[in-house]
Amino acid sequence: MSRIFMKYAVLGFVLLAATGAAGAERLKQVTAVYLDDKGGALAAPEGIVCDAKGGIVVADTGNGRLLKYSFKDAGISGGSEVKAPQLTVPTRLQLDSKGDIYALDGKLRRIAHLKGDGSFVGYLDLHGVPAPDPQIRSFRVGANDQVYLLDILGRRVLELDPSGNFQRQLPFPAEAGFCSDLALTRGGDLLLLDSLASVVYAASKGGIEFKPLSKDLKEYVSFATYLTTDSRGTIFVMDQNGSSLVTLGPDGTYTGRLLALGWKEGQLYYPAQICVSDGGLLGIADRNNSRAQFFELIK
Amino acid sequence: MKQHTEILIMILLALLYVASAAAQDNALLMFKLKPGATGKVCMDCHVNIQETVKKPFVHTPVKSGDCTGCHNPHTSSHGKLLAADSKQICAQCHATVIPADARSSHKPVAEGNCMKCHSPHASENRFNMLRAGNALCLDCHKAMGDTLAKVKHKHSPVTTGCLTCHLPHASSKAGFLLKDEVPALCTGCHKVDKPIFIKQHMNYPVAKARCTACHDPHGSDMPSLLYNNVHKPVASKMCSQCHNDATSSSPLKTKRSGSELCKECHSDMVNSTFAKNKVHWPLLGKQGCLTCHNPHAAKEKGLLKADLITVCGSCHKDTIQRQEKSLTKHDPIQNGNCMACHDPHASNSQFLTNKPSIIDVCGKCHDWQKHSTHPIGDKIKDKRNKNLTMQCLSCHRAHGTEYKHFIPFPTTSDLCTQCHDQYKR
Repeated sequence: MSRIFMKYAVLGFVLLAATGAAGAERLKQVTAVYLDDKGGALAAPEGIVCDAKGGIVVADTGNGRLLKYSFKDAGISGGSEVKAPQLTVPTRLQLDSKGDIYALDGKLRRIAHLKGDGSFVGYLDLHGVPAPDPQIRSFRVGANDQVYLLDILGRRVLELDPSGNFQRQLPFPAEAGFCSDLALTRGGDLLLLDSLASVVYAASKGGIEFKPLSKDLKEYVSFATYLTTDSRGTIFVMDQNGSSLVTLGPDGTYTGRLLALGWKEGQLYYPAQICVSDGGLLGIADRNNSRAQFFELIK
Repeated sequence: MKQHTEILIMILLALLYVASAAAQDNALLMFKLKPGATGKVCMDCHVNIQETVKKPFVHTPVKSGDCTGCHNPHTSSHGKLLAADSKQICAQCHATVIPADARSSHKPVAEGNCMKCHSPHASENRFNMLRAGNALCLDCHKAMGDTLAKVKHKHSPVTTGCLTCHLPHASSKAGFLLKDEVPALCTGCHKVDKPIFIKQHMNYPVAKARCTACHDPHGSDMPSLLYNNVHKPVASKMCSQCHNDATSSSPLKTKRSGSELCKECHSDMVNSTFAKNKVHWPLLGKQGCLTCHNPHAAKEKGLLKADLITVCGSCHKDTIQRQEKSLTKHDPIQNGNCMACHDPHASNSQFLTNKPSIIDVCGKCHDWQKHSTHPIGDKIKDKRNKNLTMQCLSCHRAHGTEYKHFIPFPTTSDLCTQCHDQYKR
């Protein structure tokens, strides 16, 4: 009897897992953050990053600063300011394994490195990168703190070690239009977002070229500018001009569209960066709503 | 041997003719048709056609008295008792007008509107054309006609006829119905090894360059048919200002890449652009300034590659399409004046607007301060979001929506009750 029960339980679990993986994502609104810890309002935030422990950093771009929050007991608290004169236009953010903050300065197009406490360490200096000098549109920090740069001048993705030493480069596909972002899957594959063609390309870990992963997504996306993945391999594509979030399966197939344009909580207005923590928290730098919004991912 | 083959072919053709005549006779007998029932009888009533067919160029079925080739003598579901849809009937005989491998096709041909150019019965002109020569083409291509009437220098083949360079139906070799790709089409006449050609191009090896990047193939006010807006170094024949020397191993290569090259002359503009918080990303890409501008000459002012709607729309297609679908049109977009609101190079503001405040951007045209308006400005909070103040984009989307007045909701009350929810029904 118990063996039969076990068999069905395993079968049920497998089916549930399979349907869950293929099913559309849903979001449950947690909260929206409008202020720092002193009551100062956010202005046009363009960056957000979150870690597995509940640490959150928001790039409060319009105010030229970073804000640190934490997610605990289904609520967001904190909002302490990190301001460095070397980082005047913070946009996209990343955290490394030590909790250090990396911020792309939108004006300088350089990556500022700050300690977790907010002290400025320096800019990420690049060593041995083949010409031309990169123009960085976006970047990612990998699991081993290696850095991936999206260089729109050289039309390539550069892989650097944590000290900025050149490791290798992957050219954009010849047919790519304007690439706005890159992402890493938990397995180490690289994803590349072509905003003009509305296509996501992928290069397997250690691979030497990008190949189309998704089909042309124009019927779902207006103008996508950012993408990220979660621990299950779901790909989240931020449709900036469509003010919504499009989800793709790990194989690049369209699975759904979340949120819509608006000003009320739960709506987006020209969003910028998103972060998805391993704990299932999804944060959005809701740029033109001058706030950060947080959701719980429900499968 | 050759003579025998020719005789054999002639015999076969004769047999074919006899067989078809016999078949026709059989049909006449079977349906007890009067002689000439497939065509000549028609003329008894359609006397105007009798006059038409006296014209020098007559459509073959008409000439052979085969009106039933195109018309059904009894009934039809199509106008003029045509045996098939008027957009498809010509293709029943002329099926290969657009080859399978066509790279470009003439819109009327692709749509089956053959009669926009041809008379189905007879004409004074070859190929049953409605009008002779360029006049027919310029009936539709009016802007081209206007341009040609004004320009100082016409490309001589344009005067000879559009069909010197273009095909009328479709082209398997090139876009724009061209008979061949540029430069092969051009170098058919303009010999690239002639000393005058080499001298005019300052000894640069341009034989494989795209001629139409600099020259207007139809006509221009500028010498050498350069487009009307010529980049100063080109006009002064100072190619080496940007390119390597003509005698170098890579003469066409530019001395610097991207905007770095342009900065050498346009330093003020480039420096002020890069000093702003938000630079238009394409400027930083491989193409740099050439994403939007032509380096040598252009039809548009500012050496733009095309009109602004086309240039901006090549990336911001979704935004341009939003305007196209919008029930209310925004004049600057309709007129292709994206720069009325945006700085295409850089800005310190969101959306690269050319003023920091959206209210000021809109206020350049919309004098909202001179009449009553919904309260807007830095002191008026948006009830939906405490970090926002009321401004024009709180209620409107400047590039349009699927609703009237650029509002993002189906009705005005849907919009107003976003904040004034006490009035919600």
